[in-house]
Amino acid sequence: MTPAPLSVSVPARPFRPATTEPVWLRRSLIVAVLAMLSVLVLAPLVTVFAHALRDGLAMAVASLGNRDAQSAIRLTLTIAAISVPLNAAFGIAAAWAITKFDWRGKAFLITLIDLPFSVSPVVAGLCFVLLFGANSAIGAWLVASGHPIIFAVPGIVLATMFITFPFVARELIPVMTEQGRAEEEAALTLGASGWRTFLTVTLPNIRWALLYGVLLCNARAMGEFGAVAVVSGKIRGQTATMPIMIEMLYNEYLSVAAFSMAALLALLALVTLTLKSALEWRHADQLAAARRH
Amino acid sequence: MPYARRGLLKAPSPLPGFGLSFGIMLTMLSLIVLLPIGTLLLRGADMGLAEVWRIVNTERVWAALGLSFRAALLAALFNLVFGLALAWVLVRYEFPGKRLIDAAVDLPFALPTAVAGIALTALYAPNGAFGSVLLDAFGVKVAYTQLGIWIALVFVGLPFVVRTVQPVIEEIDREVEEASATLGASRARTFGHVILPMLTPALLTGFALSLARSVGEYGSVIFIAGNIPMKTEIAPLLIVIRLEEFDYNGAIAIALAMLSISFCMLLAINLIQIWSRRRMGAA
Amino acid sequence: MQIEIDEIAKEFGPATALHPVSLSIPSGALIALLGPSGSGKTTLLRILGGLEFPTSGRVLFDGQDATGLTVQERRAGFVFQHYALFRHMTVFDNIAYGLRARPRKTRPSAAEIDRRVTRLLDLIQLPDIARRYPSQLSGGQRQRVALARALAIEPRMLLLDEPFGALDARVRKELRGGLRDIHDQTGLTTVFVTHDQDEAMELADLVVVMSMGRIEQVGRPNDIRARPRTEFVRAFISA
Repeated sequence: MTPAPLSVSVPARPFRPATTEPVWLRRSLIVAVLAMLSVLVLAPLVTVFAHALRDGLAMAVASLGNRDAQSAIRLTLTIAAISVPLNAAFGIAAAWAITKFDWRGKAFLITLIDLPFSVSPVVAGLCFVLLFGANSAIGAWLVASGHPIIFAVPGIVLATMFITFPFVARELIPVMTEQGRAEEEAALTLGASGWRTFLTVTLPNIRWALLYGVLLCNARAMGEFGAVAVVSGKIRGQTATMPIMIEMLYNEYLSVAAFSMAALLALLALVTLTLKSALEWRHADQLAAARRH
Repeated sequence: MPYARRGLLKAPSPLPGFGLSFGIMLTMLSLIVLLPIGTLLLRGADMGLAEVWRIVNTERVWAALGLSFRAALLAALFNLVFGLALAWVLVRYEFPGKRLIDAAVDLPFALPTAVAGIALTALYAPNGAFGSVLLDAFGVKVAYTQLGIWIALVFVGLPFVVRTVQPVIEEIDREVEEASATLGASRARTFGHVILPMLTPALLTGFALSLARSVGEYGSVIFIAGNIPMKTEIAPLLIVIRLEEFDYNGAIAIALAMLSISFCMLLAINLIQIWSRRRMGAA
Repeated sequence: MQIEIDEIAKEFGPATALHPVSLSIPSGALIALLGPSGSGKTTLLRILGGLEFPTSGRVLFDGQDATGLTVQERRAGFVFQHYALFRHMTVFDNIAYGLRARPRKTRPSAAEIDRRVTRLLDLIQLPDIARRYPSQLSGGQRQRVALARALAIEPRMLLLDEPFGALDARVRKELRGGLRDIHDQTGLTTVFVTHDQDEAMELADLVVVMSMGRIEQVGRPNDIRARPRTEFVRAFISA
């Protein structure tokens, strides 16, 4: 088995597996993508903090201390505290009804749940103004009875809920579809009640996906601007949320104050992203279903 | 309970809670989504098609609608290409800091739009870090022009294509790429004729999501746009202006125009998607 | 084409997939690489096809060093274990793929491609499926389409990775004869990988028994049955 003598020598080329691109292309793609991402995403983030701290940390913190700023922060937290749990409850109920039962019109209903994704926040706000505003029959009665919805906190909650409506359901539906119904059926045959089955079997199985959905929902709820701008009336100290305050301060050329408020929200976004990445890292198996579709 | 709802259920189920969960779902969906949107549609119907058309068919409204959809389309197109490259790099290549970059892709999603808006404006304003360089070196003005609107929309639409395409790239069967190579195809040809067709449905989904988000975007745009009527005034802003003038019919008409154009675009994308899925021979 | 494997070794990081192995494959032979999983048979096949690069050693085609040739330059008809058909293309487009991928000056005309694909569909005895998609085919049909696609590029050799592995027992028996017929008609040097000793013994001119990255024995089926050279071969073929 002696090989034939080498008659033609093939110039030595570095071997490249058939499923990869040439090194020069790989390198330039990585560099190009990183450069783009730095310009598009990281630069704005850095800008927020740079402008907030332009006159020092003390000035930035001080600008958040006045009454209107404090009220905006409180209001934003209140709005999130009401709308996120409600949307989580909706998400769980919808996912249970959709994944554990087969019924007519399911596909259509899922489309309706997704509807807020494709409606402009401003149009969403407009819808609530038309429904509950002072020029509508319901609105006039609400104002007369002293419980207005538009230009008041309830309107902001409703608009926020509309914008973040699909978030939790969208995370839970694929996960629960993948998990099927066998475990719940097993629990029932073992004599567990419906609630017990849900609390001890279903909930532990979906908790990370639920947390993931709540996280995204919360980030959007605290940051919503367009819909809230329309329904809130922008009353300083009463219906001005943090994003609305940012706009008002910015338009008054109070740059440090505006960017300090923005930095606070940016910090929230960074915390959200960190938690989200940690969840994806630790609980990839449960979240994988949602990422596939 | 299941038996009580047999009319709706396709098959009886041993699991409990259908009535309760379905009830909560339908009630909340109706109150939060269907009732408000229904009100808008009803008010539009009250006005009549002719009146809606009369309001929409003015120069300023057409300019705003045209700008909103054109800028969103161009931004979504950019994100289609850039998002594909980004997703490819994140799945296929190894480099330091990859996890950080992966997390950064979601920043536009997590960062409130008003924050993004003022940050982009500060960056691209004529005296901003990027804006001054672009103005001095190339004479290009970004903030307060349509270019600025485009950049804001690229920012908000960025995560969608990446996040829909990424899992599909992860699941590509390497054997298929190898098969193409053994048949003599260059890497470029393999990408164009084998990989790209496999990614098309996901790319279209990402494109549609990015487009839908950009068309209605308000918060991140109004700061950088300059808001000059006929030039840099987007449709959502015009709705807000009409509302501030208490011109409800004006606002309704523009909102309905936006909804119908969005609906037609998403329908078109959906049809292309169904067609491309069918071409894949849905197994 | 005659294939010479000269002291080929392959390491994946710290793991050794192939200890240096040498093997001479006569032109026009039908060879089986037989062994359990992890024996290195698929790695060896992939090195022949240019899908893996050996850590050391050379591959010679008709006496010429082919070690540095890219996958595309090797022109090896490769049939993958799960066929790797292009799901978004019809059977016709799958088979025509390699011809259309050729540079313009050597690319056949559309009419010529049409003629060749039709002839290949006749060869695999599936003349009527040109317009179908892979998802509409049975497992056995997919395997034959993959074979036709590999033959379309006028390969210098045919390499098959577990060509019958994904099929049920009945179809498997049927298609064995099909592969033998195609080999006899085309006269191509053919190497296939299998873990099924019946398959190897029935089909191949020459069987190469492998284990743990080494070649245990090379011989005609009858010789291997009659005179297993190592304890491993004896145990493996009597299993």
